Formats: sequence, C-alpha cells, structure tokens
Amino acid sequence: MACGPSLSLLRSVALVWRTLRSMRTALILLLMLAGASVIGSLIPQLPNSPEKVFGYTADHPLAAEIYSRLGFFDVFGAWWFSLIITLLVVSLIACLIPRTRGTVRSVRQKPIQAREIDSFPHYEERNVTLPAGAATTVCRKVLRRKLFRVAASENSLAAEKGSAREIGSLLFHWAFLLIVVGAIYGKGTGYSGRAAVIEGETWTDSLAGYDGSIRTGRFFGGDFSGSQIRLKDFEDTFRASGIPMDFVSRVDLLNPDGSLVRAAEIRVNHPATFAGVRVFQYGFGWAPVVQVRDDGKLLWSGPVAFSQDTAPEGVPQLALPWRGVLKLPSLDPQVGITLELWPDGQAFLQTQLTGQPVVMVVARDPIIRFTTYSGPLTDPSQRRLDTSIMKEQAAGILGQGQVVDLTTGRALETGADPNAGLTISFPDLRKYSVFEVSRDNGVWMVLLAAILVLLGLLPALYTSKRKVWVRLESGEGRTILKVGGFAVQRKSQFSKEFSDLVAALERAAGKVNP
Amino acid sequence: MSDLEWARFSNDLFNLALFAYLISMVGYFAYMAFRREPIWVASKAVLLAGLLAHAASIASRGVAAHRVPWGNMWEYSSLLAFLVVLAYVAVIEGAFKVRSLGGVALAFSVLTMGIALLGDFYVGPAPLVPALNSYWIKVHVVAAIIGSSLFALGGGVLTCLYLAKDFKERREERAVVPPPIMGGAIDLNDPPDFATGADEPVGLTEQTGRRGLLPPSAVLDRMAYRTIAFAFPIWTFAVIAGAIWAQEAWGRYWGWDPKETWSFITWVIYAGYLHARATSGWKGRRAAVVALVGFVSLLITYYAVNLFIVGLHSYKGF
Ligand code: HEM
Repeated sequence: MACGPSLSLLRSVALVWRTLRSMRTALILLLMLAGASVIGSLIPQLPNSPEKVFGYTADHPLAAEIYSRLGFFDVFGAWWFSLIITLLVVSLIACLIPRTRGTVRSVRQKPIQAREIDSFPHYEERNVTLPAGAATTVCRKVLRRKLFRVAASENSLAAEKGSAREIGSLLFHWAFLLIVVGAIYGKGTGYSGRAAVIEGETWTDSLAGYDGSIRTGRFFGGDFSGSQIRLKDFEDTFRASGIPMDFVSRVDLLNPDGSLVRAAEIRVNHPATFAGVRVFQYGFGWAPVVQVRDDGKLLWSGPVAFSQDTAPEGVPQLALPWRGVLKLPSLDPQVGITLELWPDGQAFLQTQLTGQPVVMVVARDPIIRFTTYSGPLTDPSQRRLDTSIMKEQAAGILGQGQVVDLTTGRALETGADPNAGLTISFPDLRKYSVFEVSRDNGVWMVLLAAILVLLGLLPALYTSKRKVWVRLESGEGRTILKVGGFAVQRKSQFSKEFSDLVAALERAAGKVNP
Repeated sequence: MSDLEWARFSNDLFNLALFAYLISMVGYFAYMAFRREPIWVASKAVLLAGLLAHAASIASRGVAAHRVPWGNMWEYSSLLAFLVVLAYVAVIEGAFKVRSLGGVALAFSVLTMGIALLGDFYVGPAPLVPALNSYWIKVHVVAAIIGSSLFALGGGVLTCLYLAKDFKERREERAVVPPPIMGGAIDLNDPPDFATGADEPVGLTEQTGRRGLLPPSAVLDRMAYRTIAFAFPIWTFAVIAGAIWAQEAWGRYWGWDPKETWSFITWVIYAGYLHARATSGWKGRRAAVVALVGFVSLLITYYAVNLFIVGLHSYKGF
C-alpha cells in the first residue's frame, strides 16, 4: 500500500476522534457510566462493605470468582470504570469545542436578512403613516428596546433574540465537564482514611496514623501533612432508646512540630479544616486503661482501643459488649488475653438474668470479662488473637479498681500482696473518637461547577430563540409594514409575543386610523 | 397537647386525607367519564379538604417530633403524596387548565400512602440521628421530594396517559391516514430551523373538540415534557444539595452509595430524555419510553434503595 502505517494510524485516530465527537457517543458513555453504577449498587463493594463481600464469596464461590475478575466488587475503582470516565471527558471536550465555536460565531454574526418574509410561520402586514426610511429607524429602535439584536439593510431589518438558550446550554455542558474533571483531580491527588484517637493521646497525619484504613488517589505522592490532633475529650449524648443525639470531640489541632494551631470542637456535620485536610466526626469506642504486672514489674500500662462485632438483626448495636486483646510477648510461655468490656455493669447483669439485650450508653460500674491463654503468639495483629495453638489458662471478671490474678481469674483478697504473681487491673475507662480524615483539593472546583450547572440549565431549558424580520415598502401614499418571524422553541408562547411586537411596531411607525 | 397527642392527631388527619383522596379519586374518574360539571366541583372540594387535612397532618407530625417532618420513609411517603396532589392542583389544573387527570394523580398518591400504611413504614416521631440534623439535608429532602413528585407526575402519570391515548388515536387514525414517520416529529419539508422545538406537541394539534376521556395525545405529550423539564433542575439541585450534605457529614461529597448512585441514574436518564427531544427529534412514543424508564429508576431510588439495599441512606430502621 502506498500510504504507510503512519497514515493508516492517523486515519484510525481520526476515526476514533470523529466517533468521540458525536453526541451519541457521549450519551452512550454516560449510559454506560449509569450501567456500571447499577452494578456497583447491587453487588457489595469492597470499599464500602468488605464484610459483605467476604460473605458473598463464601456463599457463591464461582460467581464471586467471576465478579472479582471483572472488578465488580470494586466497580468505581476498576480500570474499565476509569476508562469510561476518561472517554466521556474526551468525548465531551470533542463535542463542546465545535459547539462553542459555532455559538461564538452565531452570537457575533449579525442576523441575516431573509428573502421572502411572508413565508414564515408568523406573518403580518400593516399600513403605517411614516415614510419607509423613517419607519425603519423607529422600528429598529423598538426592536432594540425589546433586546433584539438587529441588522439593518435598506428598509429591511433582521432581528434575533434568545442566545441565552445556547449560551446556557453550553455553560451547562462545560460545567458538567468541570465536575468530572474536579472530581478526578480532587480524588486523584487526595486521600481519605480513618483515625482512631484515644482521649488524651495525639495522632499524626501520616501513613502509619491510618492503620491501613486509607484510600489514596492514583496521583497521590505520599505527602501527608504531618499535622497532629490531640483529643482532649470525647462526649456523646444518647436518648434512653440508644438513638444518638450528639457526638463532640474536643481537640487541639497542632502543627507538625507540636505547636498549637487552635482548639476546636469536631461534631457530626461540623468538621474541622486545617493544614489542607478536613476532619470529620465518624464514630467512637471505649478504651479501658489496663495495667498488667508480673511480680510487681509493669508489663503493660495504657489504654486499649476496643471494638464491637456487628450486631445481628434485631439487636441494637450498643447492646453488644466491646472486645479487645492484650498480648504479653515477653513472658515465657507467651500470654495473650482476650478482653470483653461491658461499659454498663448493671446492663450486663440484666442481660445475664433476662436474656434480653440492654443498650449501654453510659459507663456505670464497668466490668471486663477476660480469658487468659498461654502459648506462642502467632498473629501479629493488635486486634486479633489466634488461640488455636494456645492453651486456655483462666477466665474471670475484672471490675474497675480491682486487681485480678490472670492465672487463676480470681480477685486478690484485700490485704494480699499486690506485687505477687501475674495480675491485671483496670484503673480507668476512656473513650476514643474515630475521625474520617480526608484531603480533596477539588471540592471547590466541583462546587463551583455544580453552581454553574444550575445557572446554565435554567436558560437552556426555559428560554427560546426567536427571529423576526421587518420590511417597509412604500406604496401609493402609504407605507406597508411587513413583519415575519418564528420561534425555535416555545412556539405557543410566541404567538402572543409576536402580535404584541407587531402592535408596538405599528404604533411606532404611525398607526393608520381607520 | 403532648407530643403523643400531636402524633395521634397527625395520624388521624393522615387517614382522613387518604379517605378524602379515595373519594375524590372516584369522583374524578366519574368526571372523566361523564363530564358533568357538578361532579368536578364536588371532587375538587373533597380533594381540597383532603389536601388541607394532609397539610395539617404533616405539620402536626413536625410538632410532635420537634423537627421538620421529613426524617423517615413514613414521612417521605406522606410528603410525596401531598406534593403530587398539590402539583396536580397547581400545575395541571392551574397552569394547563386540564381537569380530567385528577383521578390518575390521586391514584398515585393513594397508592403511595397505602404502601406506607401496608408496608409498615410507620415509626413514631423521634428525633433524627445527628448526621441527619443538618441544614442541607432539609434543603436536600425538600428538593428531592418536589423533584420526585414532578417526575412521578410527568414521567409516570402523564406519560402513561399519553401512551394510552396515543395508542387509541393511532388505532382510530390508522384506517384514514398513513402512519407518521417515527413519531412524526420531523416534517421533511420544513427548513431545518423550523424543526419542531422540544416542547412542541406531535400528532393531532388541530383537534379541538374532546374525543374520549383524555385530552388529545399531543397535549398530554407536551404536559409530560414541560413537567419533566420543570422537574429536572429541581432534581439537579437536590442531588447537589445532597452532595453538600454528604461532604459535611461524611467528608466526601460523592461515595457511590446506592441512594446516590440511583439518583444519579435517574438524572442521567432524564438528561437523555431532554436530549432525545431537543436534539435527535425523538418525540412522542420513543421519548415516552425513555421517560418511563426514568420513572422506574425513580421508584427504585425511592423505594428499593431504602428498603432493600443497605447504605448510609437507609433510614427505615431509625
Ligand atoms: C458530548 C456531547 C454532547 C453534545 C454535543 C450535547 C448537545 C446538546 C444539545 C445540542 C442540546 C440542546 C440544547 C438546546 O436545546 O438548545 C443539549 C441539551 C442537554 N444536554 Fe447535552 N450534549 C452532550 C452531552 C451531554 C451530557 C454528557 C449531558 C449530561 C450530563 C448532557 C445533558 C443535557 C441536558 C440536561 C440538556 C437539556 C438542557 C438544554 O437544553 O441545554 N449533555 N445537549
């Protein structure tokens, strides 16, 4: 073939470009986006509900295998989803550039004279008194006053009104593009994750601070702010029924060097913004302060963040106890303890007696049930204890302020030597607050674009383009005023506007009294 | 009155309104069939009484709960039904001066309220969980409910009636005139500038005398388009307000949560509908099918997502 590979490449690029330029392609891509999101709303998604995905995988291994190959468990992060979005952006741009050019041209261009104005859908003739030249001048003024753009040529006028529709429509489409671009930019260069901060402790915005619960954008370079949050105290208020009323975290926001930026209250719907990140109140939990001593030597002292299992159907989440683990790797054999906190000891008793779950919203005589295991600690996680090759040693109940022997599960008698044996105590009960921390530098862009979308939509939908032609012809001793016109949209409203316009023109050009 | 009494008062009024809508619906259907002025007057009177009771029911629910009365499915359903009837009175009877469609609009509301009753959506008035306690969610929900009512009216009720009437007209015309090309929107003899605008009716515009129970299909078609074009920016605004709220509450304005996803899908379908009419000359039946698809998507957004698909927006349990 005469044309080398580069030319045929050029040709196929041109073909792709032409395809992308058509509105149909853009709409099909938009529908594909919608279709993809249907999949995303019907199949459990890893980022939103991982436990459901695991459940599904266990129940339907074959389907799960297929779904996972296709990326259906993370539709919005799948490569083909990004591809659809990219193509949509390119296609929109390809659509909009020629349309914008066309609009600019048509707005700049003077209205074009018509040859035969009596063939338009609306047409009227009137006799007027002014001579044709003077009548043309006043008619032009009338049209101008009614905000028409007018072009005159020798007793003929061509007038147009209603470019707002086209401009609004363009604004809408560009703004929609800007939403997509702003979202890609913001999500792509940002990150979001969860931070659990115990009362009295300080958290640092760094990769380690998120403990694995972080999603970073494709283009995020790892430049965490290093800023810090110190949680002074967390307060929650509940109704008796367990419905939460308010969550407040009182915090100090600190620079990376530890100096104070300002104090703030973070509550639901009232995030704090600092150092380019926004910090939202997300959740909370209990963090008992636990001390473990081996013959008086302190092995562990500090708060442990406890978490909850997901409540089964029909049981309030807050009726469930809180679980945590404590590992003592320095002992020989190693020791692991599973802890179960009941922040409301009376609720615990009631649950034991009646079998009915009781919601626990305040700390009242808190107790910790524990089980001690000895044997090798194999699971490196701080939250789980693999007891399969460990030996259960003892179990017991620990009240606040008590000291309990871990090997027997029995509380020390008053007067017994507190420094003998392996003991655990529970001097304090604190809370921790969970923050959703996110950096999204595209938010302002998306917000601005959303406003523009609305601003463009209104004229695009509710105004119409109208064209009118006026001609003045000299007859025997009088002037004939001819007016023709049509509306591109909203034709039914135009009839009235047109007859009003004709009346106004007739009046200005000198009405002939019958 | 105590909160409990207010709540009971609200429920009584709800039942009263439902009862009035039922009677009025029957009356409107009778008016559609017989075209007797007194039937319309009586039905409208009952309708207005029901609307009044319904407004009072919604207001007293707010008093009982000490907050705006749109916090759960029960309250949404009630408000949606109320707004559909209100939109019918204001838009269809008020602006379009069409009286014969009351039965259908009321049937939609009665159905919505009935589903709320039978589906056991009722929960006592209770304060909202903190995340729902935001200025933006109030704005968001009001806009979403107004938008859905209008979409339901335009994309559901009016479009179905259009299709029914269009079917009947075509059956009657078939013997006389050859069928128009593809919905008959484009007259090939017109210069392109004269191609009918999106809001222009197709079919029998000239028809003056009423034939049959319904307005001519061309009128129904235009009413459906206008109602949808009216609803679209409101829905757009609702989605934006929801995104602003989500940004405040959860730190991300968009997270592809099922409710967000489905309201986006509904939006896309109606954007497609507007395109179809504005640019590709898809009018009449083809556009009506798109509008119906949008209506189904709206129903999924409204019912299925709240009741069957769990996400951050599932309020029923609260
Ligand atoms: C990419 C190629 C696209 C082209 C060439 C295009 C073109 C058009 C045109 C010519 C109109 C009619 C304007 C008028 O009646 O004056 C229109 C309307 C509309 N378009 Fe698009 N469009 C495109 C993509 C989109 C997308 C992606 C969306 C959805 C986000 C969208 C949403 C709308 C809406 C809602 C309307 C009705 C409002 C209006 O009349 O402007 N369009 N479009």
